[in-house]
Amino acid sequence: MTDKTHHLETLMKQALNGDQRAYAEILQETARFLRPFLAKRLSFTNEPDDLLQEILLSIHKVRHTYDGNRPYKPWVYAIARFRLQDYLRTHYADQLHHADDISELENYLHENVTESVISYESISGEIGKLPQRQATILQLMHQEGYTAKEVAEKLGMNESAVKVAAHRAYKVLRQKLEK
Amino acid sequence: MGNIEELINKLAQDTATVRPAPHPFMLSLKLTGWAMAYLVVALLFSGLRPDLAVKLHEPLFVAELAALAGIFITTSLSASLLSFPDIHQLRRLAFAPAIAFALFVLVMFLAWQTDNPPAPLPVHSFQCTLAITLVSLLPAAWMFYVMRKFASTHYHLAGCCALLFAFSIGAIWLRLYEVNNSIMHVIEWHYLPMIAFGITGLWLGKNVLKW
Repeated sequence: MTDKTHHLETLMKQALNGDQRAYAEILQETARFLRPFLAKRLSFTNEPDDLLQEILLSIHKVRHTYDGNRPYKPWVYAIARFRLQDYLRTHYADQLHHADDISELENYLHENVTESVISYESISGEIGKLPQRQATILQLMHQEGYTAKEVAEKLGMNESAVKVAAHRAYKVLRQKLEK
Repeated sequence: MGNIEELINKLAQDTATVRPAPHPFMLSLKLTGWAMAYLVVALLFSGLRPDLAVKLHEPLFVAELAALAGIFITTSLSASLLSFPDIHQLRRLAFAPAIAFALFVLVMFLAWQTDNPPAPLPVHSFQCTLAITLVSLLPAAWMFYVMRKFASTHYHLAGCCALLFAFSIGAIWLRLYEVNNSIMHVIEWHYLPMIAFGITGLWLGKNVLKW
């Protein structure tokens, strides 16, 4: 284990001296041990590789702050944690923003719950007129009972994008059905 | 996975030799050296207080200057360490300014206790804060410029240390220049604003040192 760790420091020293092969090898090693670290912390997304790429770019950008005379892994993990925090901050800020949008939806739901002239057929008809993606999302969520997460997986989108698309579709539908 | 491989290959093509950043102790020494030179130049322009020789025989005045120097040195060290993503793996040393501050507060408390009857307040007030700020602006800008070349992952604290470092230069300069024996004035218009600027550094660090 110590030998392997020492190997990383040596590789990075060589990389700093312009050894292309050593640099490729250290970056591969780094990606290998960071992937499980990120996967564990980003269980809600299936795209930890996006963040991994960002971390590798950060390592490249600030490699002059490593001198090869101290352990390599703590330096890498410090950068990885920093980027992870940034990513999570942005992710949860987005979530909060979408939560606000959905809370607006609750305002509509309180209105005319019992005295509605809107029929199931009219709603289905209007859903059919929506853009293809929005219509599919609403059909999957409300006719076939899928959750936003399941729809996201099915359509290869991320969950937040599905929620946003659904929310936009609700708005359009509401405007059309109110006329 | 393929994207990662592609990225690694692309990054590895950048084979230029990279000159590692200096050790934080060396960086701190360099920062301190330049700041001392700046302080000397500022004092050459402004002149020393005429009663300095007498004041240097007062233990509390000397202790105050020593405590300020402690803040000056430890914040320079801490700012240097905090410029590195992993704090150069010397995390404990980065908290050295806390000890310097504790000593400084103790010295100020003792000075306040012994200021009996209180020395007369000078006629001016905010002008001292303004003078300290003006003298500290250049070192502050220079500190941020130097620190931006690194990669701080603790940019709030790094910004705070940078501003405390710069303002401690201004505070030392004014204590060596201004004829003033009122400890209340010094606390109110020299040191409390210095702490306020340190707090501003938390915000400034986020905006200037984020990478």
